[in-house]
Amino acid sequence: MTRNHTAPALAAGAPPARKPKTSAAQRRAVLLFVAPFGLLFLAFYAVPIVFAIVQSLLTVERKGTFGPPQQVFGGFVQYQQVFQNTEFWESVGRVLLFGVVQVPIMLGLALLFALLLDSPLLKGKKFFRLAFFAPYAVPGVIAAIMWGFLYSPSLSPFGAVTSQVNFLSADLVLWAIANIVTWVYVGYNMLIIYSSLLAIPTEIYEAAKLDGASNLQIAWRIKIPLVVPAIILTGVFSIIGTLQLLAEPQTLRSFSSAISSTFTPNLAVYTTASVPNYSLAAAFSVVLALATFVLSFVFLKATQRKVSQ
Amino acid sequence: MRVRYGKATAAFAIVSALSLAGCSSGGSTSASQDSSCKPSSGPVELSFTTWVPGMDKVVDLWNKDHPDIKVKVQTGPNGNSGTYQNFFNQLQAGNAPDLGQIEYDALPNFRVQDGLENIAACEGVADAKDKFVDWTWNQVTFGEDKAVYAVPQDSGPMAMFYRADLFKEAGIKVPTTWDEYAAAAEQIKARGSYITNFPRSDVNWFAGNVWQAGGQWFANANDKWEVNLTGKESEKVANYWQKLLEKGEVSTLPSFSDEWNASFNKGQQWTWVSAVWGASTLQSGAPDTSGKWAVAPMPQWEAGGKAAGNWGGSSTAVLKGSKHPYEASKFALWLNTDPEALALANKLGGLYPAAKSAKDLDAFSGGVDYFGGQKIYDVFADASANVNPNFTWGPTMTKTYTDVSDGFGKATGGNGTLLDALKDGQKKTIEALKSQSIPVKE
Repeated sequence: MTRNHTAPALAAGAPPARKPKTSAAQRRAVLLFVAPFGLLFLAFYAVPIVFAIVQSLLTVERKGTFGPPQQVFGGFVQYQQVFQNTEFWESVGRVLLFGVVQVPIMLGLALLFALLLDSPLLKGKKFFRLAFFAPYAVPGVIAAIMWGFLYSPSLSPFGAVTSQVNFLSADLVLWAIANIVTWVYVGYNMLIIYSSLLAIPTEIYEAAKLDGASNLQIAWRIKIPLVVPAIILTGVFSIIGTLQLLAEPQTLRSFSSAISSTFTPNLAVYTTASVPNYSLAAAFSVVLALATFVLSFVFLKATQRKVSQ
Repeated sequence: MRVRYGKATAAFAIVSALSLAGCSSGGSTSASQDSSCKPSSGPVELSFTTWVPGMDKVVDLWNKDHPDIKVKVQTGPNGNSGTYQNFFNQLQAGNAPDLGQIEYDALPNFRVQDGLENIAACEGVADAKDKFVDWTWNQVTFGEDKAVYAVPQDSGPMAMFYRADLFKEAGIKVPTTWDEYAAAAEQIKARGSYITNFPRSDVNWFAGNVWQAGGQWFANANDKWEVNLTGKESEKVANYWQKLLEKGEVSTLPSFSDEWNASFNKGQQWTWVSAVWGASTLQSGAPDTSGKWAVAPMPQWEAGGKAAGNWGGSSTAVLKGSKHPYEASKFALWLNTDPEALALANKLGGLYPAAKSAKDLDAFSGGVDYFGGQKIYDVFADASANVNPNFTWGPTMTKTYTDVSDGFGKATGGNGTLLDALKDGQKKTIEALKSQSIPVKE
């Protein structure tokens, strides 16, 4: 960043071939500043990923019914199993369906709340900002346990409803989970969009008002277009989060008989690792990571084109 | 031994975080068949992971008398809910505890992953054979000579808990056969209650019923595993419960959940065909029904029969990599045979010991208030004697359980049948064995 500021000055007096010299001391300083992040990134991100990839290429060999297992290189044997595993792909389909319905609802609500917080008409903004954000402070497992009790047909304080409609049945449990996820994350996404709204210069609103724009028109024609990047960001986060659903379905398993051990892709990974079949679990994880990456990338590309149009 | 699932979920987040951290260095365990087992020099400290409530108090008894062999207790969630995952990860990382609680049905799984020390050569272990109920000893030796992979801890002979008051009031005969049980189910349904709950996730409960009917799911013969989840006994049991499910005469709540407890506590459940440890589960889960329960032998497939199944029961195993197998097996033997230890483990943890001497203990000879003063342990002692001693568990039970349980979940939701679930489990178990390179007969 600093180079940008000094660049014109340099360009004015210095010959074009000359590069700014970085001394050894400067290089050391850069290293020093990067090191904390770099080491943590290496230890908790790069190494585990490489380890998972290596693990996914191994397979087990043994002699006899109780022979000790030996891990040997197996090539793409595990990946072959991944692609033949119907439960895994059913779970991927399930979370995609989940995402298609839940993400737009959640982001729509987040945008609505952010606009309300930003509107001059609302009183008690501080209170509402905190109130909307509070559920995000509740850990996912605790939230799932709480909702589990609320849904439960005979233990719920809303027994009059839950004894009529079983939210934990095979037909509804996916949407029961969607409701929990929405409840937890609306506030978080709202905050991202809201902070992006605050960054819009107020002069733009004044100009719009002088031109006779109503509050609704300002929201629709100025605010929303300007916070689109923030919405895209929350969209990518949500897609990643959806594919990685684990805590909520795993916790609700003790409330509902309808959640299988392969309900979501991550649950399938966990179940497979418990067998223990680490290599297959690693292969599932690698495929899931790639799918997440591709999906996020496609989403970014698609939305970027729209924005630039 | 079983604890409610609710507690397990809270531990889940921690468990998964740990299991991520525990992934390092795979496949380095060697198959050292040590035939020697010598005492260590100097004082040692042993770690012991268990999920039996109150086990730390029992271990305090040991630590008081054995300052040189100090045992440290770590508690975890119920085996399949997290502790086994931890064990597998710890074994992989080479830092497993010295001793671990492992249910009989999981022992083959641990042996096939090379996770157990053979302690047959350790002092006093081989001689302990006669101290334990025969079938439990078979489970820890896999029926082999010169092999002892764990010390039996407790067992789970099955019987029928039933609401004596409700049956009497309604004038319904307490069922002694499964036919009578189905007939009673219909009458109870007409009164707006359930005869019992079908536990879709407790596949080991279902296996206990197949065990009673004379079935066998696995066999280890001629250097190959045989898988038979769909034999005629399994089919009989599956079709029986399928009928009750279709008529809506049994509920399908997740077992050991708060919902499940509430259902028993409110008197909506009239019976529970369960294991001996179920007595303490009921007492803590349904306190309002105290004094109203009684215990009868398991309903029979043939009138006048005496067959019983078994559900659960654990062993204390010395895990691979322990540096002190001598001291560890000494402690395991004490824990599971010492009268004082057994009495306390029963009082605090509800364990029904696998040791033969148990029936002479005061704790197992008196009446129990919760069951109207009935001497319930007499019923379970009879059941224990009528459990088929030759029942073999497969080497990937965790996988078999989850697959069948998923199928049972579908069946209870009206999608497919219990028998379909077993057929699917059969197919997937064979696949799982193959993917682990375990020889299997197809």
